[in-house]
Amino acid sequence: MRKKFFKSLNKKFNTEPQFSEQSNAKDIELKKQDINLHYERNIETFKAIFSIPKNVDVKIREFTIRSLKCRAFIIYISTMVDMDQVQKSIVEPLIENEQPTGKIQDIVSFPVAKMTTNIGDITENITRGITALFVDDDDQCYIFETTKIQGRGIEKSNNEVIVKGAKEAFNERLADNIALVRKKIKNENLIVEAHVVTKRSRNDVLIVYEKDLVKDELLQKIKDRLASFETDSILDLSILEQYLEERPRSLFPTILNTERPDRAASFIEEGHIVLLMSNSPNCLVLPATFWALFHSPEDHYLRTPYGNFIRFLRVLALFISLFASSFYIAITNYHVGMIPPDLLMAMAGSRERVPFPSVVEILMMELAFELIREAGLRVPSPIGPTIGIVGALILGQAAVQANIISPIVIIVIALSGLSSFIISDSSMNFAIRMSRFLFIFAAGLLGIYGVAALGIVGLFYLVSLKSFGTSYFAPMTPHFFSGKDLLIRPVPMKAMFRPGYLKPKDMVKQRKG
Amino acid sequence: MNQQPGKLGIREYVSIAILMVGSKATEDTPTVLFINVQNAAWMIPVLSAGIFFIPLLLLLKTISLYQGKNLFFVIQKLLGKYIGFIVCLVIFIITLVGISLDSRLYTNIIRAFYFRTTPILVLYALLMAVCAYGAKKGIQHIGSVAYLLIIYAITGLFFALGLSTQASNVNAILPIWGPGKIEILKKSSQSLSLFTDFFLLTMLIPYLSSSKDFRKGTWIAYIYVSIQISVATLFFICMLDQSLGGVGYPFHTAVRYISLGSYIPNIEILFFIVWIVSAFIRFTAFLYINALMFGHLFKIKDFEFLIPSLAAIYLLIGNIPESQIDVGLKLEHMVQAVVGPLFAAISLILWLSALLKGEFKHEKDKNNM
Repeated sequence: MRKKFFKSLNKKFNTEPQFSEQSNAKDIELKKQDINLHYERNIETFKAIFSIPKNVDVKIREFTIRSLKCRAFIIYISTMVDMDQVQKSIVEPLIENEQPTGKIQDIVSFPVAKMTTNIGDITENITRGITALFVDDDDQCYIFETTKIQGRGIEKSNNEVIVKGAKEAFNERLADNIALVRKKIKNENLIVEAHVVTKRSRNDVLIVYEKDLVKDELLQKIKDRLASFETDSILDLSILEQYLEERPRSLFPTILNTERPDRAASFIEEGHIVLLMSNSPNCLVLPATFWALFHSPEDHYLRTPYGNFIRFLRVLALFISLFASSFYIAITNYHVGMIPPDLLMAMAGSRERVPFPSVVEILMMELAFELIREAGLRVPSPIGPTIGIVGALILGQAAVQANIISPIVIIVIALSGLSSFIISDSSMNFAIRMSRFLFIFAAGLLGIYGVAALGIVGLFYLVSLKSFGTSYFAPMTPHFFSGKDLLIRPVPMKAMFRPGYLKPKDMVKQRKG
Repeated sequence: MNQQPGKLGIREYVSIAILMVGSKATEDTPTVLFINVQNAAWMIPVLSAGIFFIPLLLLLKTISLYQGKNLFFVIQKLLGKYIGFIVCLVIFIITLVGISLDSRLYTNIIRAFYFRTTPILVLYALLMAVCAYGAKKGIQHIGSVAYLLIIYAITGLFFALGLSTQASNVNAILPIWGPGKIEILKKSSQSLSLFTDFFLLTMLIPYLSSSKDFRKGTWIAYIYVSIQISVATLFFICMLDQSLGGVGYPFHTAVRYISLGSYIPNIEILFFIVWIVSAFIRFTAFLYINALMFGHLFKIKDFEFLIPSLAAIYLLIGNIPESQIDVGLKLEHMVQAVVGPLFAAISLILWLSALLKGEFKHEKDKNNM
């Protein structure tokens, strides 16, 4: 009732603005039509659509097919096609072949991908880098997949660095990315499905999954979600991620964004769904739980005790980076008795000449640390090292000497800052770093009681988060059968089940040997 | 996207039950028991668990006749529309008052031991606000949080108890029968209120994945909690001996007393975190159950919207008593003295009326068919 009221109120005040837009009804109408039998009309149409000759890299080449004795033209975007191929396998055979044969397919050596008649369809294909061949008196247009887009080669993973295991990372080329996944899962049930999500830029998203594992309802849910976007362009996968999330304003991420194909493959093997997009050197894994975001592939590549050791370190780092500063504030302000007397004297001595309360001190240093961190990221690499020197020298040493902060605060901040680097997922990292500030305020306000209260509220919130219907802490709570790979990882032989929250078609990964 | 309310698994249910009832060991219960039967106090939880076992068993048996229905439904079904309504209303009001006073008691503990200068209203309001937020998230999420934290709550408690042995004296439990066997038995039957929370937990049956899980979970939690309270009382007796009778909240006194080696003299804050976290869960669950009761009584389907207002009512009722003595010694005991026998009696009446109505026979016939 109240919601309805606010909704109607909102509607009243936030009306959509009206613009005087130019209508493109004529273009749309044109794209619905079929191509013409008349050669000249076709040339005219496509010249108009692609604004030739204003558009410099769209090329039309007219010639005569010798064997058929009729005129023809090809149209392509020169920057997106393999020019050599077009010349050698399409144009040369058409011009030079003298054997009388009735079919284009028999003349050209390049395989004809398909034949089509619709103008809109052809236009869409040309923008993607194919070559279209029009022949006089032929109502079909021949499409050749000649796309060759320039891009980066396959390189080492930069953001998710590991010591053991595969090093290669996704790049901006879709074909490469699919190949990287396919070479890890050699199975005919691995499906790569294409979906166009936007209208104007026609960005396509690839849905990668294993047909005999993934739950159909989940797949349908994701497809429906992808089909529901009413937007002109989504340029990058990271933007798509924000469109897909149920709570885009939430501090905590609910979709895993990784640049490692081995990680993507391992999630596909468990029945997750992976989204790829051209021009994005990463992939999205859906649904993602807290554990997926918290783990690192290294945990699995290292031997079980070592892997669990770094897991343990990561848990510790999570707690330190979240609570170190707030705990310090709570103790020095509210629960002084906890500190051993000798240490308390030393701390009081070092704080004696500092004019600020410890909350201000901590906030100043936290902010300084975040600034150094951000600056270190954005700075051009030749002057990168200077940032470290500036940060360490000025903010550390000098601030203490100037009596702006006490030395113990530096230890606390350094510890919590260092620990925050151990959380490898960048979204999770941000979430932890930002919630740290909330805890600092809570500690400043009500000591440990405030921290505990905020912590519980945060837990309630996290537990209620859902990623495509999967609870954030599944399969721990609510409990599901799984590989038991949560805080501590069992030996690989013991991980017998796929995660139950996905309800995969095939639950058992390996039988008891 | 709409989020469907999920079901509560057995792990989550047991966690909630343990946190709700088990935290009695950390408030004034051991003291009250000690005042009653001196150094035999540690037997009382186990004995009264044995006594309350009968009504609880009968209650569970009666409720299991109605698959997936909660306590109030069964009461209204068996006792008729009007009497049933009155009984439910009485249960609701008693729990409302009981929990208000209980939460006030917890606030008093926070104030007395950890935040001596903070106004009580601030502490109390924050407690209630957090609980209201949690309860509004729904029972499944309360269960999940409880499950995530239960391990810390239990280890924290037993760690504190273990450390308290530094200063304890085992001889304090002698003479083993305290004031005498008859006296112990008499007082045990008066301490049924220790376990009345299990009576209220039957409100949650429709939210559990299966009623078998509910029965199993209830017994697990029941046995565990009786042992936990008993063990905790035993440790407190060993540590504080005769002075336990004069110490309001032995757990908090104990954690102030113990130290981690000679270099960290005061570690009560660590245990405070564990304790306050389980207190949050406890009242969140109570708040949810109470809202559920209210919703059932007055046929309000979206009872979750009532939670903030119920929390405010708790806050108001809990604020009425002037001092903590009023709360701890007078009102609280009055409520507790009534609650235990009353709930046991209701369980028995339900079972009897089911028996007389022949519901058990129907069930048997149904099974035979």
